[in-house]
Amino acid sequence: MAGLELLSDQGYRVDGRRAGELRKIQARMGVFAQADGSAYIEQGNTKALAVVYGPHEIRGSRARALPDRALVNCQYSSATFSTGERKRRPHGDRKSCEMGLQLRQTFEAAILTQLHPRSQIDIYVQVLQADGGTYAACVNAATLAVLDAGIPMRDFVCACSAGFVDGTALADLSHVEEAAGGPQLALALLPASGQIALLEMDARLHEDHLERVLEAAAQAARDVHTLLDLVVRQHVREASILLGD
Amino acid sequence: MAEAASVAAECLAGCRARGARSVLGQVVVPGEELLLPEQEDAEGPGGAGERPLSLNAGARSRVRVICGPGLRRCGDRLLVTKCGRLRHKEPGGGGGGVYWVDSQQKRYVPVKGDHVIGIVTAKSGDIFKVDVGGSEPASLSYLSFEGATKRNRPNVQVGDLIYGQFVVANKDMEPEMVCIDSCGRANGMGVIGQDGLLFKVTLGLIRKLLAPDCEIIQEVGKLYPLEIVFGMNGRIWVKAKTIQQTLILANILEACEHMTSDQRKQIFSRLAES
Repeated sequence: MAGLELLSDQGYRVDGRRAGELRKIQARMGVFAQADGSAYIEQGNTKALAVVYGPHEIRGSRARALPDRALVNCQYSSATFSTGERKRRPHGDRKSCEMGLQLRQTFEAAILTQLHPRSQIDIYVQVLQADGGTYAACVNAATLAVLDAGIPMRDFVCACSAGFVDGTALADLSHVEEAAGGPQLALALLPASGQIALLEMDARLHEDHLERVLEAAAQAARDVHTLLDLVVRQHVREASILLGD
Repeated sequence: MAEAASVAAECLAGCRARGARSVLGQVVVPGEELLLPEQEDAEGPGGAGERPLSLNAGARSRVRVICGPGLRRCGDRLLVTKCGRLRHKEPGGGGGGVYWVDSQQKRYVPVKGDHVIGIVTAKSGDIFKVDVGGSEPASLSYLSFEGATKRNRPNVQVGDLIYGQFVVANKDMEPEMVCIDSCGRANGMGVIGQDGLLFKVTLGLIRKLLAPDCEIIQEVGKLYPLEIVFGMNGRIWVKAKTIQQTLILANILEACEHMTSDQRKQIFSRLAES
């Protein structure tokens, strides 16, 4: 049987998108009443939920407190029903730890941690349905949740994945495209200044192609920013209408 | 339709820095940079073009503008760090006024001068540790009550509710609160009495309820006789004659956030009848 054609001759991908086209994004802020901030995002079939608590007292050992900054603690968890096969993932396993570390690096770049020394900000992300681009969906959901919690940030953090097939860079990979085994890159960007918060790739890609793939990911992240911007403005408008503005 | 067009215009305009004056009352999001009025005039509308030569080019009047919550100074511009509506208050005399972002939040960050409701969690020597909902418990000395001396200690137990104000509240130090004002009088502060109910709401609702001409408080006052204490840290203590009335009042105040004013008036009229 012939292999799956990721990019047709006319330039269409498996799900009918163009090379640089994103999947449909829907997001909501303030979905949990108990948490300080929460958000839910759907990127195509990938669904992620983020919850933020903080800034609050350091839990656990006092020795971990940083004298000049807040501690950002991120935890990633993937539901057992999130993938095609039901798979139980214990909490401390490698993938969760690595994702947690990447999320922490991403958000330490964006949150103004010097404003809350000796305190802790918790970001918990859960993936409810994984159809590719889980890191990007987690970062986007966590950005909205941190904004909902009112924690000061220097900018949005928008993330997107990108791949490379047949000489063309693809943006926002789905699970089928990721499983095909080509190079994939995850990029988290601060859109206003164009600075990169995190860039991750663990496949082989010729350096001549890196520029193009990076540009495709950056453009996709900026498109994500446009959408998240609309979501945030809509949410603030609704909240201020109820408070009687 | 019109709203979609204005929303699209807002997004596209976010790429370049906008004048603070033009965005007043509108939604701002982190990452935007705002120009202060004096810079806006200097840079000219729409970038460098032809500008008439001014004879007093060197003597630019510098106005002192205060940067409130949600804004940070970034070079000579203001960087927005929280999402919300941009507000401005004209100065009383001199200066350039205050700019701030009206944002909605549940977690409280201690601010000097705020009146808050705290719960006493520990008594260690001469200091009470009071939980105010921030990232650290505040400290309250036993001498900070009206009429308190070393012989005459105030009667404060662990678990009591305290209404006080912050005298020290910044990011580098542990917050300290007192229950007297600068003249040494209690002025309503101190230990909150027995009974009553303490519950938590968002900070935006508290600010709205404490606004000078808030109708909600006037309507609530007409319903039942009650005692009510508002803490800027999102805590409200309420006490009415019976437990049922207290619970009704607590539910109304919590629900006020999600109701429009018409729905609220309906509920009040229904309660007044029964």
